[in-house]
Amino acid sequence: MSKKVSAGTLKQVFRHIKRYRLLLIISIVLATLSVAGTLYAPILIGDAIDMIIGVNDVDFEGVAKLLVETGVIALGVAVVQWLMNTVNNKITFHIVRNIRDEAFKKIEILPLSYIDSHPHGDTVSRVIADADQFADGLLMGFTQLFTGVVTILGTLAFMLSINWKIALVVVVLTPLSLFVAKFISEKTYGFFSTQSKIRGEQTAFINEMIENQKVVKAFGREDENIEKFAQINARLEKSSLKATFFSSLVNPTTRFVNSVVYAFVALTGAFAVMGTAFTAGAAFTVGSLSCLLSYANQYTKPFNEISGVITELQNAFACAARLFELIEEEPQIPDKENATVLTDVEGSVKLENVCFSYNKQKKLIENLNLNVKPGQRVAIVGPTGCGKTTLINLLMRFYDVDSGSVSVDNSDIRDITRDSLRHGFGMVLQETWIREGTVKENIAIGKSDATDEEIIAAAKAAHAHSFIKRLPKGYDTPVGESTGGLSQGQKQLLCISRLMLCNPSMLILDEATSSIDTRTEIRIQKAFLKLMQGRTTFIVAHRLSTIREADVILVMRDGSVIEQGNHEELLSKKGFYYELYNSQFDKQ
Amino acid sequence: MKKLLRYIKPYIKECILSPLFKMLEALLDLAVPMIIAQLIDVGLAGGGDTGYIIKMCCLLIGLGLVGLGFSVTAQYFAAKASVSFVARVRQALFSHIQTLTYTEIDTLGTSSLITRMTSDANQVQNGTNLTLRLIMRSPFVVFGAMIMAFTIDKASGGIFAASIGVLSVIVFGIMLSCVPLYKKVQSRLDGVLEITKENLTGARVIRAFCLENEETEEFSRRNNALTKMQEFTGRISALMNPLTYIVVNLAIVWLIHTDAIKVNTGLLTQGAVVALYNYMSQILVELVKLASLIISITKAVACGNRIQAVLEIEPSTVAPEKTIGEKSGEYAVEFNNVYLRYKNAAEDSLSAIDFKVKHGETVGIIGGTGSGKTSLVNMIAGFYRTREGSVLIDGIDVKNYSDEELIDKVGIVPQKAVLFGGTIRENMRWGNENADDNAIMNAVEAAQAADVVKAKGGLDAVIEQGGRNLSGGQRQRLTIARALVKNPEILILDDSASALDFATDASLRKAINEKCNDTTVFIVSQRTASVMGADKILVLDDGEAVGAGTHSQLMENCAVYREIYDSQFKKEGE
Repeated sequence: MSKKVSAGTLKQVFRHIKRYRLLLIISIVLATLSVAGTLYAPILIGDAIDMIIGVNDVDFEGVAKLLVETGVIALGVAVVQWLMNTVNNKITFHIVRNIRDEAFKKIEILPLSYIDSHPHGDTVSRVIADADQFADGLLMGFTQLFTGVVTILGTLAFMLSINWKIALVVVVLTPLSLFVAKFISEKTYGFFSTQSKIRGEQTAFINEMIENQKVVKAFGREDENIEKFAQINARLEKSSLKATFFSSLVNPTTRFVNSVVYAFVALTGAFAVMGTAFTAGAAFTVGSLSCLLSYANQYTKPFNEISGVITELQNAFACAARLFELIEEEPQIPDKENATVLTDVEGSVKLENVCFSYNKQKKLIENLNLNVKPGQRVAIVGPTGCGKTTLINLLMRFYDVDSGSVSVDNSDIRDITRDSLRHGFGMVLQETWIREGTVKENIAIGKSDATDEEIIAAAKAAHAHSFIKRLPKGYDTPVGESTGGLSQGQKQLLCISRLMLCNPSMLILDEATSSIDTRTEIRIQKAFLKLMQGRTTFIVAHRLSTIREADVILVMRDGSVIEQGNHEELLSKKGFYYELYNSQFDKQ
Repeated sequence: MKKLLRYIKPYIKECILSPLFKMLEALLDLAVPMIIAQLIDVGLAGGGDTGYIIKMCCLLIGLGLVGLGFSVTAQYFAAKASVSFVARVRQALFSHIQTLTYTEIDTLGTSSLITRMTSDANQVQNGTNLTLRLIMRSPFVVFGAMIMAFTIDKASGGIFAASIGVLSVIVFGIMLSCVPLYKKVQSRLDGVLEITKENLTGARVIRAFCLENEETEEFSRRNNALTKMQEFTGRISALMNPLTYIVVNLAIVWLIHTDAIKVNTGLLTQGAVVALYNYMSQILVELVKLASLIISITKAVACGNRIQAVLEIEPSTVAPEKTIGEKSGEYAVEFNNVYLRYKNAAEDSLSAIDFKVKHGETVGIIGGTGSGKTSLVNMIAGFYRTREGSVLIDGIDVKNYSDEELIDKVGIVPQKAVLFGGTIRENMRWGNENADDNAIMNAVEAAQAADVVKAKGGLDAVIEQGGRNLSGGQRQRLTIARALVKNPEILILDDSASALDFATDASLRKAINEKCNDTTVFIVSQRTASVMGADKILVLDDGEAVGAGTHSQLMENCAVYREIYDSQFKKEGE
């Protein structure tokens, strides 16, 4: 193996293989049986040929016996081979399945900062394409590496038993082919990882553009995109050509080395036959030569295959390395061992001296203090980009504070389990997210055991029922990000229906109603009012009508709260809020 | 798959040369058993001829060397043809997707498009590469061995022919039964891809609802289903080698049995038997290769078909190369009794829309969620076509415009604020490739995004893919700026200020009014404040226009409009 394949990757692969060591042993045993049979057959045939010497010099009885044996062995070998292939299939596909599972589990616990800052297409390409390539390589490895190695050892033993001198010639010459294979595969590993990298880049580009194809069309950017794609594609073509060509050199070169070996066996074998003819012994016959030549072929063939497998494995390991890179990514800080489960949430929320920024060079939130009593409605307002969404990231613990603390019901949220914290909050974000599935499944996302009645009731409460009814299949209409069909506002209504169904203790509404018309919004508002009763609520909204009824209004600017109070208090202050409020009506 | 083959045409030279060189190499391989037979029958005859034996062995090495040359050449051509072929296929696929209209984009899933461009394309590449390398070689060796057998002995040749017949049935039978299975594997892979993607794009929602465990279970389920299918398919294709092994060995048994009689009667020599046996062994070796080749081919064909399926989707409408018709100056935009029905929808989304807009007017479009506001403006941009009636711009039907001219005329800021990976400048130039920094900054200022640009560190600041490093409001303002850079005759703001605070929204409208004096502006909004100053307001309800006129007219005669207004402005006396 090339030294560029990191020990870490190997270790990881072996860790996964270990679980299947029983199957692995079975596979090796089957490989040994199959090879033994495959090797024994030529001996029988060689013996048979030796019984067919010439005119009236054929031992028919002996030949018949040998041929029957050959037939039986061939049958046995076939069965064993099939079993072995099946076992190998199982090992490979299961290992890749496990690795995929692991990668996905990691995705679920990655910090959001990772997900926010890495192209999704690249991550997807690791879980899908890289895993696939790895499976291909591994399968080849299992099926051909074992049989290959066993064949080499077996042939060697048989050859030694027939004529040790000729066997020695073979043994001395074959490392040449290994050396060549190793040299080439070392050179190609680099090409393969470049290819993998450019592929990732291309996938990310495809992902970005295809997902937003509508915007691309609206701006007539098709040609520019095609050109940009062509650039990446050309680079990929170049690196693929290198990787493919250089890796494909292994086969012809080792084959050449093999034909040299074959020629030497023929030469020394022929001399040996002559030798025995001279000494009149019966040890080395034409049958033995034919048998030995067939062995020489069989002995070198695995070297061919093994070298082929090695290049394939190089590629596979390059892909696996990318997968393991994802798997070994630092996860979010796990819940503390003694983390408490938040139950019967009262809903007091306290922020003390909170400092936070996404980018350590750019300060964002500094020394934020906030004290929210249970059941209070907190409206967060301020110009765009002032840190309102960030506050939600902190409340939900999507990000951890740099310093200071956020506490719910007087316990620091880092001391309670994430699940119970998030269960405590119900959230509707500005960016609606609908999953592939039916409308019903989308609403029941927070409560998978909800009955149809509950789902419909929730949809009614969110005023989504009337539009859902009009969809082609009602609640069973398939929807999703890529299937389209729903307007932004309808998606938002679905998101609100989700909340209505799971009835959380605290609410976070981030511009939750930005895409809903005000008439509908007023209706939703009524439902929200009911929902908000006795529940602590954080509302981020620009629409002042939404905020008016809040108990506390936080006016944020540049990451800090500059004013705090209720609507009337803030208006009478004639400060920043007053300005914001009046700007709404400057056309009147 | 067939239609994809045209992309390999430019590499036809490589496609011929590669198998040709492989064939030459195979020819040399076929000579080897003959040389050995000669070596036994001539070289070892009568006490042996050392010189002859050495000569024959040197010939073997020489043939190997020439074979190496042929083979390397063949590998190069094969790599070149397959890599370039697939690069062209990918390019064609990407370009084709660019020609699809909104209607097709609505119905095609993005995950499946992505697998087709990535892993399917890779499979096609591997398949092509292997095919070029082996397509001629393996059958050539197989049939070559048969012909050689016939030249040695007719009856033995018959055995060769019979076994090759049986082998073909096995090989093709397995191949045919595997094609549909590989298709199933691939579609299950799509399912795995979909959930992976969802968990990245929906990470926040999934975590907010604590769905991580359910999602992991669902992933495992799909992953398992994929694995089961792979295993099943694997078991079928794993039959190939054992079956061929049995057939070849039984053929050898039969061969030696018949030859033994012939040698006994002096019709064959011992050397000839060895040669025949060697040829049969060669067939086995080649068949193993052929089997793996056929698996790759079936995979590649299945994947190729999936790619072709996308290439075969025709855009539902094609714009003319050049705009047809004479412009008339009276109205910028006219809707003449327009009906719109989306594909596969049961009902019209817009019905009987009829209005006219003069140049330079500002039109407000207001209405509830799902009332058809976005549909209406999308029709101005020509994204969807009418079921009945017509949409005219400058007196010419939208469908008679060339894509280029229409895009040039209409600037749209879509609801979903999307930016792309690259610098801010690059993003702004989506509006106009040749815009200089001055023009860009003008647009940025009008869109109230100057502070965003400043905060990010100027026009060279890098926006990450999807604009992830910007907030919703920042993205929205930049998408407005992007449309303004274009300086369009018709500007459409499709609820593009929803994430902006009122102050910013107000200054934005003011700036647009000043900057784009002769631009016809459509403002889609749910806020009365945003549309109230418009020259004309269109009120939509459930796809129908229920009111049109100025703010004060509508306040008087449009109940729906009044209701919307009241819902937003009843600040006193609540």
